[in-house]
Amino acid sequence: MANWQQRLRSLLIEQFSLPSDVILEMPRITIIGHIHIYIENHQGLATYSDNELKLKINKGYVQIKGSSFVLKMMLPKEILLEGTISEVKFLMN
Amino acid sequence: MKYRNGTVRATGYVTILVKGTAPELFFQKCASEGIMVWDVKKLDKDACEGKIKLSDIQKMKQIRRKTIYKVSFTGRNGYPFLMKRFFRKKPLVIGLMISFLFFLFLSNIIWEVKITGVPRDIEEKIDKQLSSYGVHPGAWLFSIDTPTEIQQRLINDIPELLWAGVDQKGTTFYLEGVEKIIVQEADPEQPRNLVASKKGVITKMYVSKGTPMVKVNDYVEPGDILVSGVLGNTDESEDEDENNKRIEPIAAEAEVTANTWYEVSLTVPLQYNYERLTGNSKKKFFLKTGAFQFPIWGFKDPPYQDVHRDIKENKINFLKWELPVSVIETVLSEKEYIQAERSKEEAIKAGMEQAVIQLKHELGPDAEILSEKVLHETIERGKVNLNIYVSVEENIVKQEPLNQGD
Repeated sequence: MANWQQRLRSLLIEQFSLPSDVILEMPRITIIGHIHIYIENHQGLATYSDNELKLKINKGYVQIKGSSFVLKMMLPKEILLEGTISEVKFLMN
Repeated sequence: MKYRNGTVRATGYVTILVKGTAPELFFQKCASEGIMVWDVKKLDKDACEGKIKLSDIQKMKQIRRKTIYKVSFTGRNGYPFLMKRFFRKKPLVIGLMISFLFFLFLSNIIWEVKITGVPRDIEEKIDKQLSSYGVHPGAWLFSIDTPTEIQQRLINDIPELLWAGVDQKGTTFYLEGVEKIIVQEADPEQPRNLVASKKGVITKMYVSKGTPMVKVNDYVEPGDILVSGVLGNTDESEDEDENNKRIEPIAAEAEVTANTWYEVSLTVPLQYNYERLTGNSKKKFFLKTGAFQFPIWGFKDPPYQDVHRDIKENKINFLKWELPVSVIETVLSEKEYIQAERSKEEAIKAGMEQAVIQLKHELGPDAEILSEKVLHETIERGKVNLNIYVSVEENIVKQEPLNQGD
């Protein structure tokens, strides 16, 4: 089941050039240098502190590490993080 | 991000401090409920600070009720709070109000009275007269009459003035005067005689140029030569000068005052009606914008039977602009109609006074009334017919050009 769904999705992306983040329900992450990170289409905040942000995504988490973090904006499915970013890590389960 | 600064600042936003375990999850909850959250900062392990809109507080409180977080407000920003804070500073508000009122006040007093078009002495006279009307720098604009009224009073009170134009521009009063000048009819260069304009007995003579032809106490008829422009026109000199040289006639100049007389006929009724103000009056004030008048002082109508209304409209100025608001002051004075009767003596007295005033008006300010006498009086149908003889001292000089050709 999952297999043909996956194939259909990649087909749609290729044939109709639809954005992959929408079709695959994956987060779109935009990073501006090391100061801004903009995450869309996430599924909720798991942890947040001064030097770490962990967001739930479709399959697993995305972990951002750095220092002096401030959440500049929080909307239902979007987050804008400001601070000094040192690493972005995907934790798949 | 840009829109947030603009609209949020206008509608107001608050900073909230959330305490509890994993406080960031509270903000996540808020965000997923559709509340806009920004500037989230983790201050401590169990304390998190963020900002939400003023209008979202209700929603946020509903979410909080289902959780165990403690929420406190640490900051209030934006226009609504700014206003609140501003109005809490009473001295500042009062100061601003006072300064505005002060501006209003200063815009409504006279700062300058400019008089143009008249010589110094009359200018001073006008200035004095204006001051007596209350028109002087520092006077309150409401308390003075309208320019047209001032104009009329000035012309009445200063006989030297032929015309006065009073114009009010903002806080400055411009006054343009035209002096009554006795225009020299003949050119001063042109030779002329001075003749009598009225019959009378000469009382005073002052001849500066020319040959006097009459003496003090002489009786003159209109047209009689008073001062001749031909020099040396006496019997003796005429023969001598004839073969020597002809002296060119000059423009005679003199002041000749004569005692003249007038007969004035008057009719004075014995019975007369007049209106009188009883002295009871009430003031009403209205604020007027456009056609709408709003009473601000004096609401009840006074219980007067006959009312004389005096309506004065004063525009309010602010700096150089005239506000579309004006204050209307209405003075309601009680008046009564009086029917009075006077005796023959009183009627004669009133008639004489009237005759003197009338004559003075006709003759101008230079004439001096010496005496008045009743020549004849008859009573007819409740009226007294009077013939009054008035003796006046006045200048009777009239210029008459000399024709050299004849």
